[in-house]
Amino acid sequence: MNNGNGNKIANKFVVPIGPQHPALKEPEHFEFTVDGETVIDATARLGYAHRGIEKTAESRTFVQTLYMMERVCGICSHVHATAFSLCVEKLAEVEAPPRAQAIRVLVAELERIHSHLLWLGVGAHEAGFDALFMYSWRDREVVMDILEALTGNRVNYSANVLGGVKCDVTDAIRDQILTGIDYLEERTHHYYDVVTTDAAFLQRTRGVGTMTKEQAMRLGVVGPTARGSGVEQDLRVDAPYAAYDIFRVNRVVEQGGDLEARFIVRVKELFESYRIIREVLDNLPEGELTARMPRRIKEGEAITRVEAPRGELFYYVRSNGTDMPDRVKVRTPTIPNMASVLHLAIGHQLADVPMILAGIDPCFSCNDRSVRLKSAGGDDVWTWEKLRKYGIDYYND
Amino acid sequence: MSVTKIGTMFGDVVNGLFKKPATNLYPFERREAPERLRGHVVWDASLCTGCGLCAKDCPSNALDMIVLDRKAKRFVMRYRLDQCTYCAQCATSCRAGAISLAYDQWELAAPTRESFLHIYGAPDDIAEALAAEANGETGEA
Amino acid sequence: MTELNPIIALMFFPGGIFVMLLGLLYVWINRKLRARLQNRVGPRWFQPIADLFKLLSKEEIIPEDANPTLFVVLPVLALAGVLTAALYVPILGMKAVHSVPGDLIITVYLLSLVTMCIGLAGANSTGRFSLVGVTRTLTQLFSYEAPFLLALLSPAIMAGTWQISEIVDYAGGRWLMFTHPISFIIAIVALMGKLEMPPFDAPEAETEIVGGALTEYNGRGLALFKLSHAAEMVIGFALVTALFMGGTTNPLLWAVQTLVLLLVVTLIEVLMARMRIDQTVGLWWRYGSVLAIVQIIVLVVWQRIVL
Repeated sequence: MNNGNGNKIANKFVVPIGPQHPALKEPEHFEFTVDGETVIDATARLGYAHRGIEKTAESRTFVQTLYMMERVCGICSHVHATAFSLCVEKLAEVEAPPRAQAIRVLVAELERIHSHLLWLGVGAHEAGFDALFMYSWRDREVVMDILEALTGNRVNYSANVLGGVKCDVTDAIRDQILTGIDYLEERTHHYYDVVTTDAAFLQRTRGVGTMTKEQAMRLGVVGPTARGSGVEQDLRVDAPYAAYDIFRVNRVVEQGGDLEARFIVRVKELFESYRIIREVLDNLPEGELTARMPRRIKEGEAITRVEAPRGELFYYVRSNGTDMPDRVKVRTPTIPNMASVLHLAIGHQLADVPMILAGIDPCFSCNDRSVRLKSAGGDDVWTWEKLRKYGIDYYND
Repeated sequence: MSVTKIGTMFGDVVNGLFKKPATNLYPFERREAPERLRGHVVWDASLCTGCGLCAKDCPSNALDMIVLDRKAKRFVMRYRLDQCTYCAQCATSCRAGAISLAYDQWELAAPTRESFLHIYGAPDDIAEALAAEANGETGEA
Repeated sequence: MTELNPIIALMFFPGGIFVMLLGLLYVWINRKLRARLQNRVGPRWFQPIADLFKLLSKEEIIPEDANPTLFVVLPVLALAGVLTAALYVPILGMKAVHSVPGDLIITVYLLSLVTMCIGLAGANSTGRFSLVGVTRTLTQLFSYEAPFLLALLSPAIMAGTWQISEIVDYAGGRWLMFTHPISFIIAIVALMGKLEMPPFDAPEAETEIVGGALTEYNGRGLALFKLSHAAEMVIGFALVTALFMGGTTNPLLWAVQTLVLLLVVTLIEVLMARMRIDQTVGLWWRYGSVLAIVQIIVLVVWQRIVL
């Protein structure tokens, strides 16, 4: 058995994590070669949650595809739907009204809160800290009740329609949101305290999975994982979409690079989200909720980039004049972050591996795509230069 | 960040001992469903115009509209509970407001599959529609 | 209390069935308390018994590469070890059933026999998670055993004997935990290590190595291991109570003492995150042993010079 450098690994021990493992919430297969307790090699095999969603988009209308795209992931379903709606609206050259965009931002921030609280609990559970797990999930119920009152469902909110949103914010819901946010903010201050000062928890997170800024940029990580290593990248600030040009976001960046920094980034992002939600509710523009959307979208292709709770989400939609999309391509944030796990795990103890895996906030159901290389030839590992050269040559031919 | 404490969750944990558990003891305690909860699809035949957009737009093909006579407003609607994803696209597509999702019907589990097929419409309309389909002539929108 | 027929003492009371049932009760209290501290409901009173019956009724599947005899015998050996240890420890306020010179060491090593059996069982299972779990179990055994013994040594040195009943007589109703505070704390924490309770549950870390050494165990074998773990809990608390909280003659007071110990242990369990195995070893060998030795030295000096 060879590792990447071509050296033989003599009778070392391979620990499989997944596809069924208590550490993983969704199935994927990782193999960690350990020597005693230290990891010396890591490989991954993805694809266990592949459902062929991109393929189903080719035989369904745009309206039906919206709901398919929403179900790519359970925790980030709203940003998928938002990205798809924005893409199709770009193709049809329709602008959703300002009130709809603001409500999209509202639900997106509520979803971010939900996702980060969920992740906080899961990260604590991987460290064996069940008290934090139970309490943060108990508080997550508050935001799920808010989302249920606003949109009608606790996950897969279906708040988006092509051209706007479905659900409006009434005064009663507004009050419920504000009360809930006040309670959550108080609890988040407490969790920030726990995450930064609890001695037993810090022993598991401080200095674990350190990634320098250069490494983060070379590996191409996105989202809070990158922001924890000092990379200043947040799509809501760099390339505002929906109503983010009106409701400005502050980037939350930490320099530590280890797991503790990633915990801190996500908890601080919770505070940002509370602030944005209050701002949106105070300044909700008046108007209608949807714009008139044609059934047949004219030919063209469009891309959107959106900041999901886990990082940059990229959508490409191509239409051919009918009411069914020609091709939808999704690139979720967990794919680049996954490569960094394999790189970071080497040299750490086996006990740190679930923590590192939880640290990137993996969403395995998002990241399963299949790529078929038709004639590139060879099955060796391609370097970045080779891939770029291939792409440039392809377009020059 | 140089101060480290032991047992930071102490206050929570001790408080949790004396508070009521956060668990909702379903089915003995049922919480109120919010008004916008997307439950069972409900069709109001009097408002329906028979355009069939609801059936066309449904992402999971759970709704089926059979038009017997558009002018006389004789429609039959077939609704498959088990295929429905409760997304409310049908309610949004309907321009007449004939479809809504009931917020109090969300406990829809059943032991057999047959109970998941609902056919709405006047009884003789239903019989006529099913007979027409059985004979191979469909009048679906 | 009067001398009981040895067979009755071994099988029914106070060893045997009684200690197993008491162990299951303590396991339930631990789980219920842990749930309430986490603001959850927790299991009903018969849950551990129900778990036991469910496990006993399931088919036992032996891995292909494992030695079947060892696979079946090791759980029985573990349970036997714990039940034998029950004979030397005062339970429920009565004097220990048997008392031989040096029975402190015998009891501690019988309790370690359980951990050794778990280690052997994991090694026998030849699964990858089991092997990692075995390494961790045995590493943890070597790291907390010394502080545990040193902590239990301080009352023994004061009493000048290795026999539990004579130490209890020496204590004569005084609560030694006040004069041996550091040893008491170390004994409690080391007990948590022996019982593999968080934060020292690296050997059976659920989110890292699924089940640790006992991953491949199921059915009757797992039931017996769980029973021996439950009984080990009782014996451990009884040992610490006998040495540090004045070997009492009142059953009610004994029950209250052990329950207070259980409460303290559960509280520590809920408040801390899991420690990595190298952090556990570092903690024990750096702080545990040193503090225990310091305590013993202080006490010896006090006894020789001051008294």
